Amino acid sequence: MHLAVSLDIASAAGKTSLTLAEIAGFVRKLETAGVDMVAISDSWPNGAPSTSPFEATTLVAALATFTEKIGLVASASTLMHQPYNLARRFASLDIISHGRIGWNATLRQNPREAANFSRPEGFSDDDFRRRAREFINIVRLLWVGWGRGALLFDKAAGRFHDPDKMHPLNHIGEFFSVRGPLNVARSPQDRPVLIMSGPAEADFDLASGAADVVLIEGQPSEALKVAVGELKRRAAAIGRKPETVKVLATMVLTSEPDADSLQALLESSGCDGFNFVLPADAPGLQSFTDRVLPELRRRGIAGQGQQGATLRDHLGLGTGGEQ
Amino acid sequence: MSARQMKLGLFLWATGHHIAAWRHPDAHVTAGIDIDHYIALARTAEAAKLDMIFCEDAAGLREANVNIASQTSRSIGFEPISLLSALAAQTERIGLVSTASTSYNEPYGLARTFASLDNLSGGRAGWNLVTSASPIEAANFGATGLRPHADRYARAREFATVITGLWNRRVAGHDGESFSVRDPLDIPPSPQGAPVMVQAGASDDGKDLAARTADVVFSAAQTFEEAKAFYDDLKGRLAAYGRQPDDVKIMPGVAPIVAATKAEAQAKYDALQELIPDDVGVALLSSYLSISDLGRYPIDGPLPELPESEGMKSRQALVIEQARRDGLSIRELARYFAGARGHWRIVGTAEQIADELQARFEGGAADGFNVMPSWFPGELDAFATLVVPELQRRGLFRKDYEGRTLREHLGLKRPV
Repeated sequence: MHLAVSLDIASAAGKTSLTLAEIAGFVRKLETAGVDMVAISDSWPNGAPSTSPFEATTLVAALATFTEKIGLVASASTLMHQPYNLARRFASLDIISHGRIGWNATLRQNPREAANFSRPEGFSDDDFRRRAREFINIVRLLWVGWGRGALLFDKAAGRFHDPDKMHPLNHIGEFFSVRGPLNVARSPQDRPVLIMSGPAEADFDLASGAADVVLIEGQPSEALKVAVGELKRRAAAIGRKPETVKVLATMVLTSEPDADSLQALLESSGCDGFNFVLPADAPGLQSFTDRVLPELRRRGIAGQGQQGATLRDHLGLGTGGEQ
Repeated sequence: MSARQMKLGLFLWATGHHIAAWRHPDAHVTAGIDIDHYIALARTAEAAKLDMIFCEDAAGLREANVNIASQTSRSIGFEPISLLSALAAQTERIGLVSTASTSYNEPYGLARTFASLDNLSGGRAGWNLVTSASPIEAANFGATGLRPHADRYARAREFATVITGLWNRRVAGHDGESFSVRDPLDIPPSPQGAPVMVQAGASDDGKDLAARTADVVFSAAQTFEEAKAFYDDLKGRLAAYGRQPDDVKIMPGVAPIVAATKAEAQAKYDALQELIPDDVGVALLSSYLSISDLGRYPIDGPLPELPESEGMKSRQALVIEQARRDGLSIRELARYFAGARGHWRIVGTAEQIADELQARFEGGAADGFNVMPSWFPGELDAFATLVVPELQRRGLFRKDYEGRTLREHLGLKRPV
């Protein structure tokens, strides 16, 4: 049973933003409590501006130095980044954190992003989807462009790396052309964990083909059950082991959850665990770590958590790359 | 205490600035994948009270020839914004400056990222604006060919206008040639108001852009005369933009090799030079001269006549002038150049190095220096423990930080 906590630092207007020390303190508490990963988002999907002093990928880099085991996931949109730059950022984060990083690839077009990133007209839904798919595939391939054991560090022979284990990408596609390879080494997880949240039905093939973790709304429970079955079925159909696509039920915690109904949801839907969305304010976080989590752990819903050194280990995902 | 003190930056580069640095017996060869190495370097620099650490960047490999590349440590390293964000959390006072290209980013995105780094560090961030000339980088961003120099700078000027507008809360809506931005920045300002603006372009377009927008300018100058000419030229351009000479700090690169005696320092340098393979030295020189293959000319002969390149106009002129002045063969120039990449090299004792820095600082050729240790951690340790105390003894460098933000360290005004 896997447990994620989503922390939306784009706190509502009028509320005081959390400081780095406060956020680091909560993440350490979640780490101690055995939560597999904390996901940081810095934008509102509805297009309202963030009020946080931090952007997600930079915040996660800082948090990596304050923690040792917990997985750290940053949201980053395909509209706000270029694939080569984004692949570098996350590979680098994975090295900084010794293999604890995930990328939450936003699959919905945020009108605020288009308007501020020189795309005032935005993309049609169909173009946006094809572009996101191409973007995500490029990033996944760039992450494994350096073969295992490519770095030789042989001072005496003057061989820093093995040129035969450095693979250019040479991608030429509809929206991007990227030669590669990345100028960041292969990272500890081979590929940072790829998370997709709230995919529409039209995104299910992409999610079941590429994602390691899919976050689906926990309610209504019948829809959750259908989505879990569909994602696992489609994964199996293209030769993936269904258990390598983890589906977590997203639950927005406004008050203390009813542990009985959480347990029932878990059993009926076949999902792999929960993603609890917490308000980015001190009392909400306090209540979660001090009251909700202990109860979930008592019932075995929270599991043991953090089963290995990397986020892939925690999630039981196996290796992130071949080559 | 002298009224005016020099500013010192630490220019970080994985295993070191010397092309063969990684082969040095004591160099930390896994630097490009070891965050603890960088945390240790940053803390050494902070203990020495340096103004800032600075990261170079390119969005692609440095060297297209894979066999050459595989004999250097430069094909892999940390992405600098994530690196500095981690270092922000593990340091207290030192400034954190990263390079990022206007060619392959959007101003709203970089404005957010650097504003976040500025907040994570409590007001210690800086952005080194560069435009990208490398075809290797272009190939990672779907570009079929490079834009001419002026066009790159037009985009950079618009980028700088938009990003400073976002940081300084001046912009509400921008619709220009290269960018459109609708909203104000959604990240609040840090204690220093806005990240420090750094630039290094030494072409005419580059100097003009720096005079308009930069707080700090990094430069490359071998001789006092070159350094002085650049300094006077750039400071002279400020008035046209309503700025005072002291609004911009000019910090040339310097690659010191320091030891207890001059002979010892020279021996350290010679040992490093011996580690440069000829094909690597020549390839590096070719790349900086923006010509495809210097290797087809006799290695013990002189540098051939070269056409002016679109890519790196100012740097090319610098290197060619160096070769002609000293009558160097391609091999000699390649080795000399590989050692410090065209920057100023000083080999000597702490006193001798301090003398040289003092002469340029007091002679009106520099406001400070961007220090480029030949290899890490050894040459940084040597600079921090030998040269910095000598500069402090002479009253030329601070003994403790006067402020908390990078703007305070550098004596810069808050942006308006």
